[in-house]
Amino acid sequence: MNLSLNWLNQFVNLDGLEKEEIIDRIIKAGFEVESVNELGSGTNLVVGKVIECHDHPDSDHLHVTKVDIGNEILDIVCGAPNCREGLKVIVAKVGAKLVGGEIKKSTIRGVESNGMLCSLLELNVPKEILDDDSPSLNGIEELDDNFEVGEEGILKKLGYEDTILELSIYANRPDCLAMFSLAKEMAAILNRPCILPELKNYNNEGIDTSFILHSETDNCPHFLAKVVNHVTLKKSPKWMRDILRSNGIKSINNIVDISNLVMLETGQPMHFYDLRSNPHHEITVKDDLEVDYIALDGNTYHIEKGDLMITSNGEPIGIAGIMGGDNTKILDDTSAIIIECALFEQAQIRRTANRLGLQTEAAMRYAKGLDPLAQQKAIDRAMSLLIEYAEASEYEKTVEFGSDNYNEIVVKETLEHLNALIGKKYEMDEVRDILNRLDFHPEIKDDSFISHIPSYRTDIRIREDIDEEIIRLSGYDDLATTLPLMPQTIGKLTVRQSMRRTIEDLLTNAGLYETITYTLVGSQAVRDNLMPLGDAIELKQPLSDARKYIRTSLMPSMLECLAYNIAHNNENVNLFEISSIYAKDMQEERLAIILSGKLQESKVLHNTVDTNFYVLKGLIMSLLDKLGFPTGRIQIVENNVDASNMHPYQSALIKLNNKVIGIFGKVHPQIAKERKLPDAYYLEMSLEQLIESKPAKIKASEINRYPSISRDISLVVKDDVKSSDLIRIIERAGGSLVSSVEVFDIYKGEHIKDGYMSISLNIIYESKDKTLKIEDINPVHEKILSELSKQYQANLRQ
Amino acid sequence: MEIELIQSTALKAIENCDSLEELESIRIEYLSKKGKVQEMMLKMKDLPKEEKPKFGQVVNECKQQITKALEEKSAKLEALKLNKQLEEERIDISLDAYTPHLGTVHPLNLVVQAIEDCFIGMGYKVAEGPEVELDYYNFEKANIPKNHPSRDMQDSLFIDVNTLLRTHTTAIQMRELEKAHGQMPIKLVCPGKVYRRDDDDATHSHQFMQCEGLVVGENITLTDLKGTLQFMVDSLFGEGKKIRFRPSYFPFTEPSVEVDMTCHVCGGKGCPTCKGTGFIEILGSGMVHPQVLDINGIDSKKYSGFAFGIGIERVAMLKYGIKDIRDLYTNDVRFLRSFKRFD
Repeated sequence: MNLSLNWLNQFVNLDGLEKEEIIDRIIKAGFEVESVNELGSGTNLVVGKVIECHDHPDSDHLHVTKVDIGNEILDIVCGAPNCREGLKVIVAKVGAKLVGGEIKKSTIRGVESNGMLCSLLELNVPKEILDDDSPSLNGIEELDDNFEVGEEGILKKLGYEDTILELSIYANRPDCLAMFSLAKEMAAILNRPCILPELKNYNNEGIDTSFILHSETDNCPHFLAKVVNHVTLKKSPKWMRDILRSNGIKSINNIVDISNLVMLETGQPMHFYDLRSNPHHEITVKDDLEVDYIALDGNTYHIEKGDLMITSNGEPIGIAGIMGGDNTKILDDTSAIIIECALFEQAQIRRTANRLGLQTEAAMRYAKGLDPLAQQKAIDRAMSLLIEYAEASEYEKTVEFGSDNYNEIVVKETLEHLNALIGKKYEMDEVRDILNRLDFHPEIKDDSFISHIPSYRTDIRIREDIDEEIIRLSGYDDLATTLPLMPQTIGKLTVRQSMRRTIEDLLTNAGLYETITYTLVGSQAVRDNLMPLGDAIELKQPLSDARKYIRTSLMPSMLECLAYNIAHNNENVNLFEISSIYAKDMQEERLAIILSGKLQESKVLHNTVDTNFYVLKGLIMSLLDKLGFPTGRIQIVENNVDASNMHPYQSALIKLNNKVIGIFGKVHPQIAKERKLPDAYYLEMSLEQLIESKPAKIKASEINRYPSISRDISLVVKDDVKSSDLIRIIERAGGSLVSSVEVFDIYKGEHIKDGYMSISLNIIYESKDKTLKIEDINPVHEKILSELSKQYQANLRQ
Repeated sequence: MEIELIQSTALKAIENCDSLEELESIRIEYLSKKGKVQEMMLKMKDLPKEEKPKFGQVVNECKQQITKALEEKSAKLEALKLNKQLEEERIDISLDAYTPHLGTVHPLNLVVQAIEDCFIGMGYKVAEGPEVELDYYNFEKANIPKNHPSRDMQDSLFIDVNTLLRTHTTAIQMRELEKAHGQMPIKLVCPGKVYRRDDDDATHSHQFMQCEGLVVGENITLTDLKGTLQFMVDSLFGEGKKIRFRPSYFPFTEPSVEVDMTCHVCGGKGCPTCKGTGFIEILGSGMVHPQVLDINGIDSKKYSGFAFGIGIERVAMLKYGIKDIRDLYTNDVRFLRSFKRFD
């Protein structure tokens, strides 16, 4: 909403208030001032009279003039074609600040010039608001005899000085989209009286009418119409055009302008029809049409069932509340009109306007809600303007369909509750004063006060609304700061929340960056999915094809992240993300890790940790261990679920409690190739099982006081034997004496038969009771070797 | 005397010696079992009895002198050798040969954690909820019935008539109010991702993060809200920032306020970041609308509460001087690596 201070000044006397103070108080009362636009500006302006005007000796269009400005006579060079002797002009003296810059003493083609004769355009007055025959359009402004030589304040006197505030209005304050109620609000904020034009009720004024008004839909509960059999179409007065212009509305003629002005004043959209286009003298509101209809703007709109339409004799004549029709509009020779002033249901107007893409001033106001009494106010205001500015006569009595259904709202509040909610100590006098400023007509009894809410304040319904009005107008600045006084509560993270933090700690310390990627993905991402949660959820009206589905796996996002970084020459991209994914009726929180390049690197020391299957596996295992799920509780098994995203022989499943919770390994080379990615290693794991399962208890382990014995063995086995199987056999055969088994070398090649490998293991024997001797472990060691030989034909390497 | 000659020759040799190896051979020459001093000892048995003690004393003296000289020289040479070794081990300390690579927590999560920690310290719990949410919790329960104009304020991404991607974390508050079954007090913060129908540009993102807070109990006042938010601002931006309230509108709070904070860049003097006002807008809040309490089975005559909501991106962008919101979702490691701590 644009608020012209000149316009406001007609209702609320702003004398003695600086612009800055007005703006500051408006902001403090809850409006955002998006911009402040000055109309007509310039300093050091004075009325001058051209007393001499000669052609410039060295130019074909410049004039050399002498201009009397009262206290001195200035030599000024002027290029305007209408510059002539005897003319009263606007002089910008040396030092004047105009939108184009500062006026300086200068020499123009050898002739000295001490100022400038101005066009209004040079004084920040927009072209659109000037009359077509304004001299300023083609030269300098010509002042009439109302102006005295030496006079200042010219722009104000001409009516071209105004400040326009662009206000942003909250959704609960549609009343501020109507100047009459906005002026009330401003008066309350500025604590000054507000005087609005008296409205005369024209319902029973005029001759009898035969006009028929009807609505077939509940979405038009109230409709007022009035036939005016004679109007004179002409140009609107300047004040009216100025108001429309400051609100971004083009002036058309006095009739159309009055309908727009009344909308700006009362918030009630109205529409005027040419009476000739309604030979049946009948209007019916329908919402069951399905037609293509040409609106005022010349475009054709497809009307569907539900859209509210104004019809006459069954034929559409306008899109209700949004835009009139081309076939019924006011023409240059219009001399009789029908006034439409109706209430249409806000949600329906919003739906239709959104669908048709027609966000007109009228639609916007209907969609935000109207003052329930606005129809009556608007039609009465329009009538008085039509009579005054369009010689309206021979009008008929007002026709009414339905009613405004208005009941006054009364809200009761007590000082005690007000003070308890705000935490301040208001006195009744202050409360009374504020409610009076708001026109709430307070009735005060003891500790309580009853407010009578004006019809346009549709946002005030409960006592807390009143409380807000009171603090809003008394100001928030001196509000104290306290903390809630209540029983102590314990604040702590849930298992899920602290698990996230542990994962973040461990992985960032290991060198990985945490990412946050978009939840919405395109159709391909839903198709090529790793371990998808279920059927992807599709948005009803997606923003784009690329953001159409809710992802069912994190893999596409992580691959995209990696691809972005690789494309931007970032090497060694190691990332992780913890995010929830969704499918129909399902939700799961997952961890994804992607590794590529090196995890740690020192070029000088020739020391690097490359990323590969084992590095990723190690990271996962130590993470799980840290979360309370040591190796013993986790099974790593062959990947038999996904061979298209993962390398079939370099990937594995993670199982907890016999349930698959994750998959990891090398990204399938085909996938990598399609996305121009280097070798990459990926994990996707659900956190749900981990959160639900009990983690291992933290317990101190006793330090063994007896020395251990270390034995290395090198076995030759078939090369598809799994090291974990060998270790299991050693542990089982060795019993309690074996404290650890570790693989330290794997060798294939010379001296080892094809299809076999040599695997070297270190076994640590330990006892908690005594120092072990060779004799103690020999039998166990022999047993281990024989078991290995029996089960895996493992022979000691010679 | 021969013994004196041996001693002086030995001491001279020791003095001139300049390596530990040479010193060892001198020791062998004089002090070993077959060395020159030992040879002299052997000669003692041929001497007359009365000369023996004297001779023995002289030889011992000689042995001691040589031993002492050897030890001193040895220590000197050892020290020289060590110094030489140390010098040879000189390295270029200016070289960065190995920098353990540390990753970073995403800046948005850093902000969320800082807010969580601030409120956990005051006894709040951290609540969460589904991003795929029912209209019921996202709008209806938050006092935004169908056709309410403020549904326009947050154009939503719907899945079907009843389900959508939540447009604000207020949905979590509504679930928590319901879950409380009237058990008071309620003290929680609820961070999470939210979604709106916005085209992505430098200042808009269809996906972003919020953290809301909710306190409901007896005698909760607007001044409690202000005090709590001042505490949060001190904790997030450092002490000394003032906050101010401006009236605002949210369907689920009444009164509703917009909260501004002293500009952290200029300290309130006025700069481009705060557009010369000295204040920057940081969050929206208010007293919980009585209808919201009543819908959720909490007697609004007995209890009151406050709620607030802060944009995580906004805090991150203000704190770290991030100019384009999309940078937070591109995950370029050159961007991510700056965020070593909350700061």
